[in-house]
This record gives sequence, structure tokens and C-alpha cells, in this order.
Amino acid sequence: MALSPTNFTSHSSIAAATPTAAYVHIPFCRRRCFYCDFPVSILGDHREAISRAQCANIVEALCAEITATPRFNQPLQTIFFGGGTPSLLSVHQLEQVLTAIDRQFSIATNAEISLEIDPDTFDRSQLQGYKSVGVNRVSLGVQSLDDNLLRACGRTHTPEDVYQAIEMIRAVGMSSFSLDLISGLPNQSIEQWETSLKGVITIDPPHLSVYDLVLEPVTAFGRQYRPGESPLPDDETTAQMYRLAQQMLTNAGYEHYEICNYAKPGYQCLHNRVYWENRSYFGFGMGAASYVNQQRFTRPRKRNEYFNWVKNYVVNGGAIDCPITPSEEQLLDTLMLGFRLAEGLNLERLGDRTDPFTITKILKTLQPYEQQGWLIRDQDCLRLSDPEGFLFSNVVLTALFEKLS
Amino acid sequence: MTDVPVSRIRNFSIIAHIDHGKSTLADRLLQTTGTVNARDMKEQFLDSMDLERERGITIKLQAARMNYTARDGEQYVLNLIDTPGHVDFSYEVSRSLAACEGALLVVDASQGVEAQTLANVYLALENNLEIIPVLNKIDLPGAEPERVKGEIEEIVGLDCSGAILASAKEGIGIDEILESIVYLVPPPADTTQEPLRALIFDSYYDPYRGVIVYFRVMDGTVKKGDRIKLMASRKEYEIDELGILSPNQIQVNELHAGEVGYIAAAIKSVEDARVGDTITLAAAQAKEPLPGYTEAKPMVFCGLFPTDADQFEDLREALEKLRLNDAALQYEPETSSAMGFGFRCGFLGLLHMEIVQERLEREYDLDLITTAPSVIYRVTKIDGEILEIDNPSTLPDPQYREKIEEPYVKVDIITPEEYVGTLMELSQNRRGQFKDMKYLTQGRTTLTYELPLAEVVTDFFDQMKSRSRGYASMEYHLIGYRENPLVKLDVMINGDPVDPLATIVHRDKAYYVGKALVEKLKELIPRHQFKIPIQAAIGSRIVASESIPALRKDVLAKCYGGDISRKKKLLQKQAKGKKRLKAIGTVDVPQEAFMAVLKL
Repeated sequence: MALSPTNFTSHSSIAAATPTAAYVHIPFCRRRCFYCDFPVSILGDHREAISRAQCANIVEALCAEITATPRFNQPLQTIFFGGGTPSLLSVHQLEQVLTAIDRQFSIATNAEISLEIDPDTFDRSQLQGYKSVGVNRVSLGVQSLDDNLLRACGRTHTPEDVYQAIEMIRAVGMSSFSLDLISGLPNQSIEQWETSLKGVITIDPPHLSVYDLVLEPVTAFGRQYRPGESPLPDDETTAQMYRLAQQMLTNAGYEHYEICNYAKPGYQCLHNRVYWENRSYFGFGMGAASYVNQQRFTRPRKRNEYFNWVKNYVVNGGAIDCPITPSEEQLLDTLMLGFRLAEGLNLERLGDRTDPFTITKILKTLQPYEQQGWLIRDQDCLRLSDPEGFLFSNVVLTALFEKLS
Repeated sequence: MTDVPVSRIRNFSIIAHIDHGKSTLADRLLQTTGTVNARDMKEQFLDSMDLERERGITIKLQAARMNYTARDGEQYVLNLIDTPGHVDFSYEVSRSLAACEGALLVVDASQGVEAQTLANVYLALENNLEIIPVLNKIDLPGAEPERVKGEIEEIVGLDCSGAILASAKEGIGIDEILESIVYLVPPPADTTQEPLRALIFDSYYDPYRGVIVYFRVMDGTVKKGDRIKLMASRKEYEIDELGILSPNQIQVNELHAGEVGYIAAAIKSVEDARVGDTITLAAAQAKEPLPGYTEAKPMVFCGLFPTDADQFEDLREALEKLRLNDAALQYEPETSSAMGFGFRCGFLGLLHMEIVQERLEREYDLDLITTAPSVIYRVTKIDGEILEIDNPSTLPDPQYREKIEEPYVKVDIITPEEYVGTLMELSQNRRGQFKDMKYLTQGRTTLTYELPLAEVVTDFFDQMKSRSRGYASMEYHLIGYRENPLVKLDVMINGDPVDPLATIVHRDKAYYVGKALVEKLKELIPRHQFKIPIQAAIGSRIVASESIPALRKDVLAKCYGGDISRKKKLLQKQAKGKKRLKAIGTVDVPQEAFMAVLKL
């Protein structure tokens, strides 16, 4: 008897379909970093008068959007304020947004509430305030501990600001926090990178995100530099930086739990895991992406367009006009995201999303990479090896995309 | 259909450059004579293949019979025999013209005479056709009828005092054209009593009825049910269906000298009823066939390989099917150590090659790798043996070669004066020998060069068009073989010779071509996990070398804020690119790389 693929219904589990996470985009920065192409409004240094007004407008739109969004009967387990520079919000403004979220969806008592903060944009009382309204995890945009590199990136802070910020974080008792680092910056040498890594290991944060610089075309860097060409370090060097980070940080007791992320046991970012496990999440704010009811939607990236969109969204009762992600695409998303995690993908769970033929096809496609040592299969799990498999993850994914689409 | 005396038949064709309005004029004639009514009028009735419509050129010719009551009150039959408008099909054009007694020379009144038009006018003159000049698009603001008339008189040597001013689009001058056809084009000779000779000017394959043959009866009479013989292919058939084209097929019982029509006779392939062949009666054969028949001779060759080896059989079937309808297409299996199984295919020219490739990909859904086109080199070996080489990788080694000759063409270019310099430079760079330059009227010039065909079949035409901002036109024809110091340039990827990339070049250009080619390949071949040396060599001497550095990482950085769409697009793009790669040893080579030599 010929087996027909239609005998297998693809369904994602209810748990993955109900959003229990929310991303909130705070689109302000004092100035634009040279590598950044996120949707942000630049406030400049006159933070007080103008920016208060602008922030107030955004907070109002955010609350309107949140309140118009259809609710599910599950409380939120994670909330992430990203930017931009969310620490440009006042405690009161942040509270307004959190209150709106809690009223609409209810926030679980032990929910992870993360806030991105930049050194030199907050003081101790502000941080204390954030904590008092519910923030229990902060992510500090350090990027580098080298003064020259910081300036070369267009960052507003100095290494000294970083150390002060960390002191404040510890002083207010924010035990869960993360630092961001970027490798592959202009003129950065492997020695400088090693110094930076030693520096952060000394600081000993519970969580670290380590990114390799990506040249986006519409940024200052994108216009100025070409990938892999001087003054940017070549691919050989940046690959070495990746390996060095992996080695030094795992030796220092960190788990390399995702391509770019390291955590001490118990400190993984639960919110980001929602993305990597291809589960549903709300998204609020300018340029924010959401994945609800199998619809992936990105909000307008321009201020006025976003405001208009919110108006219509409220009128339409929170209906989003975009196609449902077909199951074949969901499978590609699952693969693309899941292989970012050190634990990789569980074959049994993958089986829920597709049919046995496709699973066979996936395994066959992955075979050469298994031999190459980039892919490890143990029991029911498929994962990329660290660091080599991670370093060439696109090669593996491209092969899967080619065979599955 | 009423029987019509030979004296009231007029057979004519239309000679025009692309875009000068031939198809529109043909449509207008069909409409004015009531052959096709306005309601059924599809735009450009004569071009029935999709590809033709898209490119605005006529590839396959067709015919149409029109009944026309002239001002003298008599009923005439006007047969329009269309001609393809591209240099690759000049043999087909010449056979169509041989079926006519007259031709309309249609020239855009704002543009002037173009090289291709000129070549076809000469063909018409050789066939003793009465030529009626028509200046089209006379309604356009840029029309300069006097200048263009002067140009026709100057270049073609035709009296233009009676040239018709027309606009096919606006219907201006159409009656005058019809009257001129009746009065100026001579009627066919009345040779109804002689043994049958009919000239095939087109044929196509119909899956239900076999090959449909279009012909003009030159002598005698043909009837439904007749047993006929094709004098060149020596095949005999019984006519199942005889008819005229109006322009749709209408069956009749008999056609006589001067008439144009079609037959269906269960002919299996167009190869058996080739353009230029003569139809006669099996029982009462003509003594001589009509003159002018020539075997199709491909001038350009390339390898066609399926990207996916599993598609080899599909490719074979597709080529077989195309060949049923295209006697000029040649193919034979080719095996390449680098490419696996494929076919070496011969074409009339570059356009013909592109058309076939495109139909294979579009109509038969094949993913193909096409190797760079080659001409036929004539190699004399030391032992005196002469070889015709259409595949550079099969060129005998230098120690066995006495000499290599390559085909030369005479190229005529007509261009506005300001582009003369750049076009001369182009021709010079392509090893051209300057022959002649003539100033025509008001800033228009003809340039004549003799060039190796190999230099023309690369991107010469595209270069000419881009250098002249599209204003220059060209025509070429083969003039013979010449000896040159040619060498074979081999390309090695990762140490292995890749025979489809081998190319034959002039010794003086070998270094430059080798260098440019390896640079181009470096650009086109994606990075791999290992370093890939790319070398160009003549014999054992490396003339150029580059290397593609190893891929050290290929990782997506972060998916910020859960927005995965951009990363996904990137992967999709990479995956799509990967599908079009051909594995050569351990190196994946993209399709474009095999044509790289054309883009230096």
C-alpha cells in the first residue's frame, strides 16, 4: 500500500500556538550606532522636553495597540522590552505599558520581564524604579570594553560607564542580567578580542550575548566598509574570534546554549527561547514582529505609518491582515530557529510538524554534515556541533531549504 | 473557394526591420480585405508563437490568402507570405522570397533603412522580385519621409518617387498598397500544364496530423489524394488534406500554379519536408527540382547538460520533440567527465540557440547548463587528415596539428555617425578587418568588417546595441575559412580540467582571455569550505591563476526581536542559487560560470 502524505496531519501543539510571550519595541535612541538599522527615532542629547513628549506619544500608541489585541486565556510568562533604548523611558511610562499588558493578558507572577538598557542612560534610582514595577532582568548594551572601539561604533558610552552601570545593577539587586558584546569590529584584533573576553569574564555576568558584526547595507558601516575587507577583520579572524569566545566562556562556566548566547546554569533568556522554539509571541510597537495565530507580522517601521496602523488596528478590533504561515514554511522556520539552540531539534517533536517522508528527507540531507562533524545526532536529537557546526550553520540550513522548498 | 485564373494571383511578402511595423501592416491588410474581421483580430495575427510575441520578432513564417476586389472591378487573390526577421534564418527568408513575385519594402519613416532590411532586399532582388517601397509610421511627429526616401534610393538604388506613405496603425495608405500590389507585382507564370513543382517555404509539426507543409505551386496542379514525392528527401506520401491559409486553414480539392497552400500527408518530421524542398507528383515527376535547396548547416554549437543528471532522458525527449518541428536543430549525445551526460547541439545562430534553450526550459521544465557557444574549426592534422571541430575540448594536441582555420563572416553595420568610432573599436577588438565605410544620408553610415565568426557569436550583437544605444543594426554572412594562430585555453578548477570551459582563442589574446576568465570565475563560483585554485592554461603552461578563499564561517547572527523574515529570505535566496549549481568534482559551479567566457 502506498502511503500518502495526507495521512499525516501537521499540527503544532496548543502550547506552542498560544502566545505566552510579548516583545515591546521602544524606538528611541540618543544617536544611531554605526552598525544599526533597527527602526528607531534619534532623540539627540536634549532628552528632557522633546523626548518626553515623543516617548509619551509612543507609550500612548503602545497601550492602544496592546488594549486592542485579542487576548488568550494564558498569562504571559515572558516580556521583553527591546529597542532602541528602552532605558530612555521613565519608570512611570514603563509602568503604564506593563499595566496595559497585565490588564489585557495578565502577567504570570514569576514571569521573566527583561529590559534592554544602555550604559550612561539611567541612574540607580531609575533602575530601582524599573525593578519596583516588575523588571527582573536587564540586558546591558556593552558592545565592547575598548574605548577606541566604542567610539568607532558610534556608541555614546565609555568603558567606565559600563563598570558603573554594572555596579548599579548589582546594587539594586538585579541578579539576572546580561551583557552584549560585538566581535569583528573595525581594526579589532584577536588580541583585543581576548582582552574584552577576559574583561567580561571578570565582570562575571550570569548571561552574555556575543554577536559577530553584521554589515547591514543602510548603515554607516555598510556604506563605509566591505565585509571581510580591511579595516574589518577577515573571515578567518572573525571565525577565530568565535572559537575563542566559545572556548574561554565555556571554560569560565558558561553554557553556550545558542549560537550567540551564553548563560550560567539557570540564567538562559526564556523570552528568546520562545523564538528559537518557534512558539507564538505577541509583538507591540514600531517595527515589532509578532507570531500569533500562525500569522507572522511586522509592524510599520516608520513612526507615522505605525501610528496610522494602530488607529486602524483599534478600529478593526485587533485584526491583522496577513497570510497564515503554511505548514511547509512553519517547518522551515522550526529548522532555521531550532538549530540555533545547542540542544538542537527533537525528532519526535519535529514529527508533529511534518510527515515521515519529510523527516527521512531531512535526515538524508543532513547525512554529509553528520560525516563532516558539523551535525550530531544522538537518540532523538539533531544538533549542530559547537563551534564548527554553529559556524557553518547556514551551509546546513541552505541545504535543508533547498531540499524542502 | 472560387477558382482563380493565374493572371489574377499576386504573391508577395513584406520586408521590414523589427519594429518597423510589418506585423501591424499585415494585420491591417487582412482586415481591409475582409480576410479576418475586426472582431476576430488578435493583435499581430501572423506571429503565433508566444516567444515571437514577447520578443516582437517573427521566427516562424506563415502565409495568408486574401480576396481583393481592385478598383478595376476584378477580383484578385493576394497571397502574403511572411518572412522571419532575423539573420539566423536567412535561408528560410530566401525560400519565402522565392515563392513570391513581389515584396513590400516597409521602412519606418522616422528611422530609415536598417542592415537586416538591406540584406533581405538584396535577397529579393536576387529573386527578381518587384519591390514596392512603403514608408510606414508616417503619422508620427518624427517622420522624415523625404530623408528616408533619399536613403532608400541611395542605398538600395530603388526609385522612390512612387513610394507609398502609410501608417499601418492609423490605416493610412492601405488601399494604395493593395492597388500597387495588383498593378506592380507581376502575376505568376501560367505553367499549369507542366508537371507539378511546388516550393516548400515553411512546415511545422502538428501532433494530430503530422507535418503541415506550406508551399507555393510553381508549376502544374496538385489535388487532394495525390501521391506526392519530395525531391530532396525522396520520400513519398499521399495527401490527406489540401488547403489554403486564410489565414486559418481551409480545405480545397485542388491548387494550381501560382497558388499558395498547405498539405497534411502523415509526414512524421519536418526533416522529411524541409524548407526549400520541391513537391512533385510520384506518378508524373518533374525533371528537375526547383533551385535553391540547401541542407541546414548549423553554425553555432554548444553543450546542453541537465543540472540534475536524472533529467537526461527528459532532455532527450524534449530535443526529439523540438526537432520534429525544427530541422535546423542538430544534437548528439555528449559525455563530459565534468558534466556527465548531455547533448552537443548545433544551431543556425545565437538567436536560434537562445530560442531552443528557452523552449526547453519553459515548455519542458528542464534546468539546463549551457556551455559557451563554439563555431566549427577546421583542423588539418600533420598526417593530412582534416577534422571539423565544434567542441574545443576535442581539439587535437598541438603536436598533431598542422593548422587551424576558423569561419569568417562579413558584417555590415548601419549606424548613426556618432557611434562609428566606438563600433570600429568594438570590431577591431574582435579581430575584425576593416573593409569599407560609406556615408549614407544625413549622418548615417555603413561599416563593413570581416570578422571571425567566433568573435561575433559571443556578445558582439549586444555590445553593438549597447554602444550605439540601440540605434545600430547589423547583418552578417559566412564568407569562408581562414587560418589563424589559434590555441586551446583550458580551465582547471581545483586542479581538474573542466572541459566545458575550454575555449579556442587567438594566441595574442590568450593571456588576456585567460586572466579575465579566471577572474570572472572567481567572482561567480561561491566559496567552499576549502580553497579553490582556478587556472587557465595553454597546454601545460599556466597563463593565469586565481583562487577562491575557503569559507571560514557562514552563520546568521541574531534574529532580533523575533523578526525572522530577513534571515529566512537570505536562506531562501541561497537555497535557490544552490539548485542551479552543477557539481564538478567537489566544487559546485553555477550556471552562469559556463557562459563566463562571453562576459569578459
